[in-house]
Amino acid sequence: MRALLLAAACAAALLSGQARAQTSGWTLEGAAAPLKGAQISVTFLDRPGYRAIIKLLPEFERRTGIKVNYEIVPYENSREKQVLNFTARGDLTVALVDLVWMGEFAENGWIVPAETFTKDPAVADPALKLDGFFPLLLDAFGSWGGKVYGLPFDNYSGLLYYNACMLKSAGFDKPPATWDELAKVYAPKLTDKAKNQYGYVLQSLRGETQSADSFMRMLWPFGGSLLDKSFHSNLKSAGSQTGLQFRQDLAPYMPVGFVSMDHAEAVNAFAQGQVALLTEWSAFYSTLTDTKTSKVTDCLAVAPEPAGPAGRLPALGGFSLAVASQAPPREQKAAWLFIQWATSEAIAKQYVEAGGVSGRQSVYNLPEIKAQYKFVEPMVASWQKGVPEFRPRFPSWPAISEIVAEWGSKMQLGQVTVEQGSDEIGRRMEAILTKEGYYDGKKPLLQ
Amino acid sequence: MSKPQPTSRQRAGRARLEHARWTPLLFLAPAVLTLLAVGIYPTLFALVTSFRQYNLVRVRDGFPFVGVENYANVLMDGSFWNALGVSGRFFLTVMPVQLALGLGIALLLHRPGWGFMRAVARVSLVVPLATTYAVVGLLGRLVFNREFGVANQFAGWLGFGPLDWLGSPSGSFAAIAIMDIWQWTPFCALIFLSGLSMVPVEVEEAARLETTHPLAILRYVQLPYLLPGLTAMLILRSADVLKLFDMVFTMTRGGPGTATEVISILVQRTGFRVFDMGTASAQAILLLILTVVLSRLYIRFLYREIA
Repeated sequence: MRALLLAAACAAALLSGQARAQTSGWTLEGAAAPLKGAQISVTFLDRPGYRAIIKLLPEFERRTGIKVNYEIVPYENSREKQVLNFTARGDLTVALVDLVWMGEFAENGWIVPAETFTKDPAVADPALKLDGFFPLLLDAFGSWGGKVYGLPFDNYSGLLYYNACMLKSAGFDKPPATWDELAKVYAPKLTDKAKNQYGYVLQSLRGETQSADSFMRMLWPFGGSLLDKSFHSNLKSAGSQTGLQFRQDLAPYMPVGFVSMDHAEAVNAFAQGQVALLTEWSAFYSTLTDTKTSKVTDCLAVAPEPAGPAGRLPALGGFSLAVASQAPPREQKAAWLFIQWATSEAIAKQYVEAGGVSGRQSVYNLPEIKAQYKFVEPMVASWQKGVPEFRPRFPSWPAISEIVAEWGSKMQLGQVTVEQGSDEIGRRMEAILTKEGYYDGKKPLLQ
Repeated sequence: MSKPQPTSRQRAGRARLEHARWTPLLFLAPAVLTLLAVGIYPTLFALVTSFRQYNLVRVRDGFPFVGVENYANVLMDGSFWNALGVSGRFFLTVMPVQLALGLGIALLLHRPGWGFMRAVARVSLVVPLATTYAVVGLLGRLVFNREFGVANQFAGWLGFGPLDWLGSPSGSFAAIAIMDIWQWTPFCALIFLSGLSMVPVEVEEAARLETTHPLAILRYVQLPYLLPGLTAMLILRSADVLKLFDMVFTMTRGGPGTATEVISILVQRTGFRVFDMGTASAQAILLLILTVVLSRLYIRFLYREIA
């Protein structure tokens, strides 16, 4: 009965948006009529959320007459490609903004604040409902300096994927609730090197994978962080050192060569039954449930990331879509219509069913979505409380990320100690922040 | 007396001469203009940029002239010297192997007989050379995959356990070196082969009557003809190793740690991750100078004209 009521409430919420739009007379077709024939360009990644929206694109193009041109590029090249396009005043009309690029894109004026369009009745959908997004996502993925620029589009939370069959064979009927439990109780029992089976895997390839997914993941739950309140290095704090040392201690329970594993390799190790526990983005759920890419579909189970001494502070990542300021006004409006539609409550269910992860709250209240997708509950739980600055979002992050990636890898390889690596990262990071003007009051301490 | 006016025939002749003077320039112009556009202009631009603060993600700061600050930063940066060291070690690892294997293959192909096999071998030597660097890197990822790569298959036959090629610093360095050797040994073989084919037949036959020792023939008869090719190989491969990027990036991205961070990976990171074009340009100009110096040294100490 409760589920039925919830379903009715959600359906009502979804329909109320459309109803409001209809009563106000605003329709997507009507708004797009003057823009018919416009072409917009966007960069997509080869990930499930993008494949999902590509499936739905024909409907948008049919209803609006706006052509969406997309180019699929690897994540590692996507910032480079976009920055070069913006500095050369190229043809991109929609910016794909990773949360850590938000400060850079906004401060350089490459993206247009959303209010430019939300205040324009010609293109602003009355059913837009910014408060319908998870507040954490809109804040972390779409905003900078208190202003909304982008709408959350491809949304991730770190989750704990576990192989319930392997856990059961080892005598566990539930996943580890804390990192400590994972390392001291679960991982030793689940690791059998002779059988090439490992308790856990942490993707740690040098690059953003090392800095974001491996290094930063172990700071927050242990009470650490990259920066303190004055923007100086906080890596030598007790919390940060404990977290980084904990990361080192996990090595014996991980597959050989984990330092060179990107998302694909780590997910594959889990999908082939080689690894029992994996912390990975929610976006990889569809890969792990696809029998073409996973051997463990029947044993797959999902839980929130384990908690540390500082609580459950899982990895947070994702992308928003924003209008590029270099685009002519007509294309900007067309781009906004696309962004508004792609992130709307109206298509959220279709988007999730096509393999995407929507940032809209209402869709995850639908009983059929909850029942069908095991990742929904832990992900929604993770998004209730999180750290927006899980990775600093200021313009200096890409340069700092390079340093963290280099020295973080060296720590894991044992080429430097945790303490030496922390010193190096701290020294180099502070040199960058000094140059940026964070210590002489020239720039506000925004991250 | 008035000067005699040229006849129409003379005028036409002069016009033809005038035209003939410009003809070579017109033929050369497309090549020269292309070279200016794709070679000289970018180099000059990099040179100018190397003396400026030029960060694409800090356009609001402008592009002020900073003198030699970028060069000083590069020369004091441990990462630069580390990456240069990796490139140097890489060159010193692969080059002797490529030269030895290339010479061996060339000598085998130079032997008389087996005409058809030699023709097939020559064609197949071109295949690795024609393979795009990025594809070589992707092949490398598969070949050296710990779980299903053929490298570990071979290692298993030889009695070694599965090696962690791409996950360990020494393994990944060995893996990129092996892929480079696979790709560039044929180049050395073909250059040596062309050198061997320049040895006059009568001289070589006379030498064979004098001695049956192949090493003596190689040292005293064939080697002088191989030296120009060897110099060319060293120059080309030095420049190539300094700009080696695609294969390493697709295979290891410079990792794990900095084990395979060759100098071009560092330049790419500086230029296209941090977008500090000023520093990246200074790094590139220093590499250009290094290439020129190495080339002069090779020519000075190795190159010999055949008398």
